[in-house]
Amino acid sequence: MTPLLLVAGVIVGVGAAVAMGARDARIASLGLLALLVAAPFVADPLPAPVPLAFGVVAGILAGFLVHVAARRVPEGAAPTLGLPATIGAAAAGFAAGIGATAVALPRLGPDAALAAGLAALAVAVGPIAVTRDLFRLGSALIVLVAAGFLVLTALAGTLPPLTGIAAGILLVALAATVAMVGGGAVVLGGVSGPDAGPDRRPAPLRARSDRR
Amino acid sequence: MSLLPFLTVAILGTVVVSLLRDRRWLGTLASIAAVVVALGAAAVVRPDTPLVIGGGALAGTDHLRVLLVLCLAGGLLVLIVARLATWQPSAPGALLGGAAGIGLALGLAGTPPALLGAAAATVVASALALGSPAAPSRIRALARELRGATTSVVIGLVAGGIMPGTVGGTVPGTAAATGAGPALAEPAAAALVLLGMALVLAHRFGAIPLHARVSRLADATPSSALPILAAWLPAAWGIVILGWAPVALGPSSGALGLERSLIVIVALVTLLLGAVAALIQDEVEHVVAYTIVADAGITLLALAALDPAARDAARAWVLVFATTRTAMIGWTVAFRAAFGSGRLRDTTGWMRRAPALGAALAAILLAVVGWPGLLAWEVRLAILQSATAGPALLLAYAGSLGTGVAICRLLVVGIGRPSAIVAGAVGELPRLPERPVGAATDPTAAESPPIGARAAVSSLPGRLRGLAVVVRRDARPTLELNRVPLRAFVVILLAGLALLTAVGAFGIDAAARAAGPALPQLAPVVGG
Repeated sequence: MTPLLLVAGVIVGVGAAVAMGARDARIASLGLLALLVAAPFVADPLPAPVPLAFGVVAGILAGFLVHVAARRVPEGAAPTLGLPATIGAAAAGFAAGIGATAVALPRLGPDAALAAGLAALAVAVGPIAVTRDLFRLGSALIVLVAAGFLVLTALAGTLPPLTGIAAGILLVALAATVAMVGGGAVVLGGVSGPDAGPDRRPAPLRARSDRR
Repeated sequence: MSLLPFLTVAILGTVVVSLLRDRRWLGTLASIAAVVVALGAAAVVRPDTPLVIGGGALAGTDHLRVLLVLCLAGGLLVLIVARLATWQPSAPGALLGGAAGIGLALGLAGTPPALLGAAAATVVASALALGSPAAPSRIRALARELRGATTSVVIGLVAGGIMPGTVGGTVPGTAAATGAGPALAEPAAAALVLLGMALVLAHRFGAIPLHARVSRLADATPSSALPILAAWLPAAWGIVILGWAPVALGPSSGALGLERSLIVIVALVTLLLGAVAALIQDEVEHVVAYTIVADAGITLLALAALDPAARDAARAWVLVFATTRTAMIGWTVAFRAAFGSGRLRDTTGWMRRAPALGAALAAILLAVVGWPGLLAWEVRLAILQSATAGPALLLAYAGSLGTGVAICRLLVVGIGRPSAIVAGAVGELPRLPERPVGAATDPTAAESPPIGARAAVSSLPGRLRGLAVVVRRDARPTLELNRVPLRAFVVILLAGLALLTAVGAFGIDAAARAAGPALPQLAPVVGG
């Protein structure tokens, strides 16, 4: 494992922890930005310059969109866990990924990719499962996609550029969704508007006859 | 390369109709025009020279052309039915965005890019359909879709990393993907990967016990956006996963008996309980939602088979599935608009007032169930036989007819005694606006026009101007008076589309079995 890989992996892990654990939404979005910019560098060998630049630009764009949404998040929309606990979870995930070297998990990518992927996965799963805040949920989903991409890199080695392009498109689509919806209705099930839109009958919270 | 114009048109159309969503008439015209242009571009997609990008390729296939044409044609008809009832500004963008995403997902070579494309399509279509206006029920539905799509793609990426489906790049799901597969895999890894992909497929289609998603989606989504979200996008996920499975896991299928049995059990439970659930629903939208849930069982059976023959049958079957469900959704839109209610207990005897809707539903029933020799019947039976045998096959066969039974129930309710709501509803006979009495007796109108005016009227431009005046005067009242018969007519077109798909028109069978285009030698996925 080269120092560059380790540093990039650590930035990814810390970025994921800040994105999921910071109380201030703008700081969380900066953590997300760091994660998305550093993630393409966690590969051995590094992708070609153009795909690498595409990954970085897609990460910056996604981070910017989330930052735009973060400015509209009201005060008090706290993360699921505090920052210390989230950093602890990320560190545990990182250590587990590095520890996989000891059990000789068959793979073709670098240890740092697995470590960074597991760190991101560890901090993203909780908010995805329990959060009612759309901004936090969207951020967690972006972290989850980055984690999946890193784990895939760890298992299969440096991925073809087309996979990176497709991942970039998905990340930007998720971030744009957060930017579009995050300001209008931050809290799931909140009071951001009437339940019936102009183009739909009032949707019942639970259909009277829907016996589930 | 022929896929590129479609993607361009669909993406541009998505942007335009999203920008015009607040303009009722202009938005309607732009939506219909954009979908028609996209439909034309989809019709020329063919397996020609692939476009090499980023070490991979983007290529069209015959199957993708048929899928996109059916998706857009069905979606357009549902949009028209819905527009004749109300204005649903978010639906056209969702349809076009979803179709563009499907084109991208199924045109990209390799399983990971295809899964990422399918996830991006789901995110975009869900955001466009549910993101605005941001009502709480819609935001909850959007959150569920985002969660589902993202977790599904991550599971799929990890599974694809452990068991790559192809060594080189192949368009997902094509017969070409059967070429060089991986060697026999570690049984434990193969088992985990199979179960992970089954979980993804079950969630995307709404198999029991993950069925709540589809029903709640039907509650929150604008009805004309429901076909793309509940039928066509899951179909795209299914094509990608079912195309990957026989290649990646086929050689290991002998060691996966327990896992395949587990998937078959879940599929049988889904088929049977989904049918029962569809039978006990009172809202017509929920009936349709649970028929989608029930048919998730057939998709799971196709996965459990791990057989290229079942894969090819499933590629044809998903087209029949998605087209018939699109037709059913269009039918529910027209039904609710005709009676102002979708509750069956309030609309007994509906067929007295809406016989054309009854005929359309009967045609949809034929398309859903089929008969021996029909494509819909044969491919469904091929899937069932490839994964089950003996009593399990009998159960699967019975369960696969559950959708038909649910439609029969709707028809039986329709021939009962008309309820008060039905009795008060407008019938389906076309009507013309009545001329105001004053117009016939108006003395100024009876006066002879001056000679110059008569000459102007007798000339061609004058006649055209006169015709335009008459059309302007009469078209809108005529349209307002005939919304019910127009909706019924469009639903009959939808049912016809479903029937054509079920009989195998548009070359569906050949497209499902066709090999993909010859791709250039691509950089293999490291680890393949």
